Amino acid sequence: MNSSILSIKNISKSFAKIDEDSITHAISNINIDLKENEFVSIVGPSGCGKSTILRLIAGLIFPTMGEIFFENKKIQGPNRDIGMVFQKPTLFPWLTVKKNISFGLDINNEYEENKINEMIKMIGLNDFANDYPGQLSGGMAQRVAIARAIINNPKVLLLDEPLGALDYFTRMNMQDEILEIWKEKKQLIIMVTHDIEEAIYMSTKVYVMEKNPGRIKEEVKIDLPYDRDRTSLEFVEYKNRILNLVKF
Amino acid sequence: MDNKFTKSELKKLEKKSKSKKEMFFDLLISFLPLLSYAISILEYLFIKDKYENDYKYRYVIFLTVIIVLYLFFLIKNLYIYLTCGDDEKYIKTKNKSLWLFVIFLFLTLFDYLTLKTGILMYPFIPWVNDIINISIEDYKNLTISTLYSLRLLLIGYIVGVVTGLVTGVLCGYSKRVRYWINPILKVLGPIPTATWIPLIMIISSSLFLGAVFIISLGVWFSVSVATMIGIMNVDKSYYDVAKTLGANDKDLIFKVAIHSAMPNILQGMTQGMSSACISLMVAEMLGVKAGLGWYITWSQSWASYNKMFAAIIIICLVFNVVSKILDSIKKYLLRWQNSGGDIE
Repeated sequence: MNSSILSIKNISKSFAKIDEDSITHAISNINIDLKENEFVSIVGPSGCGKSTILRLIAGLIFPTMGEIFFENKKIQGPNRDIGMVFQKPTLFPWLTVKKNISFGLDINNEYEENKINEMIKMIGLNDFANDYPGQLSGGMAQRVAIARAIINNPKVLLLDEPLGALDYFTRMNMQDEILEIWKEKKQLIIMVTHDIEEAIYMSTKVYVMEKNPGRIKEEVKIDLPYDRDRTSLEFVEYKNRILNLVKF
Repeated sequence: MDNKFTKSELKKLEKKSKSKKEMFFDLLISFLPLLSYAISILEYLFIKDKYENDYKYRYVIFLTVIIVLYLFFLIKNLYIYLTCGDDEKYIKTKNKSLWLFVIFLFLTLFDYLTLKTGILMYPFIPWVNDIINISIEDYKNLTISTLYSLRLLLIGYIVGVVTGLVTGVLCGYSKRVRYWINPILKVLGPIPTATWIPLIMIISSSLFLGAVFIISLGVWFSVSVATMIGIMNVDKSYYDVAKTLGANDKDLIFKVAIHSAMPNILQGMTQGMSSACISLMVAEMLGVKAGLGWYITWSQSWASYNKMFAAIIIICLVFNVVSKILDSIKKYLLRWQNSGGDIE
């Protein structure tokens, strides 16, 4: 009856404030159904609870109300099939690049030398495999973080502004790299971003959110073939439409 | 870049070249200890002794061994510098020269004040040759005492580190454990462990075990506290990342928390070592009938002050070696910390 891999049903999440006796309603009444091989972006003003949605799906926090189902099972905690890349690379500084990438395999006793080397090659860091993260640039570190998440072969990949801290050119490169990965592995990707152009360039569907409390304002399907041309008329039209939605 | 070169070649390329004058000055400084060595020898051999001095030439040999060792390394590293251009080792050796220069001068002065004039009264303060003589004469007792001390120190230290790690990790990770252990640490922590010695000496069935307990208590305390703080301060985002990669509680402790807390843990271990050394000496001086601490009080009671000095010098050497070893362990375990290359 339900072909979706991930369904978010009526969730709300509120946080207690630390210093005063009040509550912040981060998100309220979110309903999303997602299938495999979709690339979904969530855009919206800061503070609208974009990242909260990802953390809920990852099982790092739990909804105040509502339920999230992954493959028709309720999410009870973190799950290897749901990978996440955070805004900061958060590499383990005490492990080499190679050991960082293989972390997920190591702790689950699935160490596979070939798989790891392939991954390092794919992100183009052969020369840095045995270096420690302190020696990497921001772009390289984020590439390692992405490799570390996808080596587990997750069915859902959550990206929390993964390219936010990178410069413009590195970002464009990385957008294409992520798209390559997605085309090959066909997993469901959910990406939070503040860059509307990035969302349109990469996704099949864009959710526009508004805040206080965070909720979905509109779902925009992007019907453009890949590889998309950022300067094409249709692209610009999508951009204008979403920009108008974000204005409030 | 296509052409690859080694680290030393890179350094050579990036270094400012020294002028001839500077190089000559460096060379002059590096041979300075020879001068004070000569002064030492001349002072020792040509000023008349006030006291009887057996095996007079042992001191000369002692000084000569030092200067020969120094010159050997200096010339070897100078040779490396002149042939390969890598001056790292040469500069390291050269940097020791001024200290060595001063040490020889100090030894000269000390010899003059003791053996030559008796301004510093014998037998309370012996001259160096006398200490050398007594060390050679009593080497058996000194060796055994050193080994005893080392055994006690190591056993106590290892017991303390292991128990400290266990309590520290549990306290840092689990609120329930912290509820029970933290107050104990807070109340007992500030008491210097040596305070317990008289009590332990009475209660415990074996003095050796009592001493092990005292030493490990201090180590346990510093390691527990440091580890606990380290683990409590682990960046929570590391846990988030590890969890999304499939880590369970065990992985979070052993693969994330302990590594992240390693700088703190090692700092606690260093602190623990100095407290262990203090406890060791006090325990040996007060109760245990073996070891260098015991040797010191024992020779004092026989008024053999030269033996006391010999033991103190050995303690100084042993503790220095121990902390050097600890330092290199620390450097190895924390090699990921300064991975940004050499910053000078």
